[in-house]
Amino acid sequence: MPTSTPPAAPAPSRWRTLAPSLLAGAAILALALTACGGAGSTDVEGAGSNGSAKAGTAPVSNGAAQVKVNVQKVNGEDQCVPDFSAAAAGPVTFTIANKDASGVSEVELLSDKRILGERENVIPGLKPVSFTVTLAGGQYQLYCPGAATENLAFTVTGGGSTAAAAGGAAALLKEGTDGYAKYVSGQVDSLVPAVAALKMAVDSGDVAASQKAYAAARPFYERIEPVAESFPDLDPALDLRVADVEPGTPWTGFHPLEKDLFEAKAITPATKALAAGIVKNVGTLKTLTAELEKKGDYKPEELANGASGLLEEVQSSKITGEEEAYSKLDLVDFVANIEGSEQAFEYLKPALTGIDPDLTTQIATQFAAVGKAMEGYKDPAGLGGYKAYTDALKKSDAAKLTQLVQSLQAPLARIAEKVATV
Amino acid sequence: MTSEQPAGPASPDAAPGVSRRRFLGGAGTAAAAGAGGLVLGAGGAAAVAVAAGAGAAHGDVSDVERLAADAAGSSHPFYGAHQGGVDTPPQDHLVFTAFDVSATSPVELQLVLAKWSAAMAELTAGRPVGKVEPSREQGVPVDTGEAFDMGPQGLTLTLGFGPSLFDGRFGLEKFKPTDFADLPAMAGEALDPAYTGGDLCIQACANDPQVAYHAVRNLARMARSQVTTKWTVLGFGRASAGPAQKTPRNLLGFKDGTRNISTPADYAEHVWAGREAGQPWMDGGTFLVARKIHMLIETWDEDTIGDQQAIFGRTKQEGAPLTGNAEHDVPDFHASLAGAPVIGAHSHIALAAHENNGGTKILRRGYNFTDGLDSVGRLDAGLMFLSFQKDPEQFIALQRKLGSSDRLNEYIRHVGSAVFAVPAGLPEAGHYYGREFFA
Repeated sequence: MPTSTPPAAPAPSRWRTLAPSLLAGAAILALALTACGGAGSTDVEGAGSNGSAKAGTAPVSNGAAQVKVNVQKVNGEDQCVPDFSAAAAGPVTFTIANKDASGVSEVELLSDKRILGERENVIPGLKPVSFTVTLAGGQYQLYCPGAATENLAFTVTGGGSTAAAAGGAAALLKEGTDGYAKYVSGQVDSLVPAVAALKMAVDSGDVAASQKAYAAARPFYERIEPVAESFPDLDPALDLRVADVEPGTPWTGFHPLEKDLFEAKAITPATKALAAGIVKNVGTLKTLTAELEKKGDYKPEELANGASGLLEEVQSSKITGEEEAYSKLDLVDFVANIEGSEQAFEYLKPALTGIDPDLTTQIATQFAAVGKAMEGYKDPAGLGGYKAYTDALKKSDAAKLTQLVQSLQAPLARIAEKVATV
Repeated sequence: MTSEQPAGPASPDAAPGVSRRRFLGGAGTAAAAGAGGLVLGAGGAAAVAVAAGAGAAHGDVSDVERLAADAAGSSHPFYGAHQGGVDTPPQDHLVFTAFDVSATSPVELQLVLAKWSAAMAELTAGRPVGKVEPSREQGVPVDTGEAFDMGPQGLTLTLGFGPSLFDGRFGLEKFKPTDFADLPAMAGEALDPAYTGGDLCIQACANDPQVAYHAVRNLARMARSQVTTKWTVLGFGRASAGPAQKTPRNLLGFKDGTRNISTPADYAEHVWAGREAGQPWMDGGTFLVARKIHMLIETWDEDTIGDQQAIFGRTKQEGAPLTGNAEHDVPDFHASLAGAPVIGAHSHIALAAHENNGGTKILRRGYNFTDGLDSVGRLDAGLMFLSFQKDPEQFIALQRKLGSSDRLNEYIRHVGSAVFAVPAGLPEAGHYYGREFFA
């Protein structure tokens, strides 16, 4: 994935190095960290400073402490005004109503910078919305981006520790990243025999069989492309398009092979060398992804960014027809990219559902819409099972496909922030 | 944050501890702050403060900078009886975009309209629609940022509902204004479906093109999963005048909008819709007609001045009617010379004049546009004609006449067309366009 760290040289994350001191510190430290991250207005004030929060802890009903957050103009400025700024440990329901603050559209509950729960679409004039989180004793922040006072301290009294509150989501995310690691390894395990079959076909000199084998191998790679891309030398060696080749360097991997098979329709000794190179590099990919899985090195935000990155791939090289310029297999790659993206999302879904159920549903709906639309391009007779992405098809359908994928990427791009390990 | 706030390149992202508004109050005028931003090109509040302070101390802000700062800092109130961008004196730049709703449920449409209404209030005041630079590393910027610190630039955003919005999809049939329908086919049209119709439209007008573009881009982006952009036209150079504005010229080189609606009485009589529209939400609204008019510029350019002036019925430089000497002389459609009318019956102004149309007037608020070259190598340019009227029938009656016999038709083609119901303005924060639909 674009932000993934090669296993050999883990780049230090300033968030990770700062995190321990933050956990030990108080709200004022959180302010300092946010400010050095370039956050802008980050005054942390007690909710009482607006004069509206009542003393004491929020009353409990329906098994949860009830906190109302009024988003409204106070002296001409957009503000979040909770009625209570403290609650007893346990489930806490935040009910948010935006009366007239047009500059605020979401409210989050944070533990340090980790999002425990949030609601988007907190829009003036719409009905109140709510979210419930189970909180242990400690300090939290209500975060209202766009408000004149964006961070409001929220205190939970009683047992447990702040860290435990995030534990549920963290465990789900760990399960998710482990599951995704296995998925990636599984795809690479399938890619290995697929490229071996491709090499055999090429070695036999059978162009038609080689074309079929090429189409069969591509999806395994395209589904996990962001992971492959995280190994800086491997992806260029395997998947570079001709336009991206540096002058003076050899062009290797799938696409020069594609050119031989689909444009020249001839197998030369050079073609065979290309196929052999693919087999060798895919072997390296297997070693590297197995290490990643073993170390448990995937981070939730990497899955999220990878899922979004795959949709970027679809838009920038598949819908344009640049990826498979000779074979016209772009729709095969398109579907594989979407499948890989959806898998990454699925592994994040259990945790994400707890953090932002609306967004989770929206993304799932958009994935379903794309999936349904792509059904229409299936062609059992076509190479790879889909229609060839001809110039005519591109002309008639590209705009529609772009719109479909953009509708999916817009909400999907927002999940990295929500599942980030900070 | 009300729209009455001091205008300026406002931003919620002022440095910690320094409220942008407090800072502006301290620095004096929005113009000074804007000038600082202009000098430096960009930068945070601190940089602006330094520049503004220096300017104030030495009094060395040039006239050019002052003018630019005035343009940047000017803002129009978002809330009021009518939407902005109708009786607002035309700004210099336009981005007009028509959208189709791809969402299928009323709830999704409601969310889009509520989000847009709140965001339009922010944009009109020169504020971003969300974080340009989120505090969390993994955050995706909510506002795209290209208009950050540029000021409101006189931005107005005008929202319209197309007839197709009131079909069965969202259960809005009963909210459709009386007789509201797509414009009928008329002579002189060569409509391209790619520039025709739309469920929704946004007209963004501003003193700066990037600010207008930013507004539409961000509104489209926040509704990406629910709404698709159908067509868009970028207008440069206003081709109509408001009161106290010099009459500008269209790309044919003639003044456009000389006899435009300008008095409150004319607005009341011809522009603002009332009960006859059949919907309370249109009381104070208006109807917007959009026509993308391609001009056959190269052939026009080779036409003689005599013919050009006869086609319009006006002189080219002064813009005077052929029966007068000055631009604002009232044309005399009865004057004749050697038995022939001085202003030809099929000249543009004779056909369009209210005297010859039972008193019918429309508010013209168009913009010149260019899209490079067309498919056969001609300049792809013309007029993005925008008119506001209390009843689309006003435009239809005029265009029926113009389309069938205007001498100008030899040089123009109507290639795009749409009509939108523009709801009344929002009274105050907390309201959103279309709220009545979802009660």
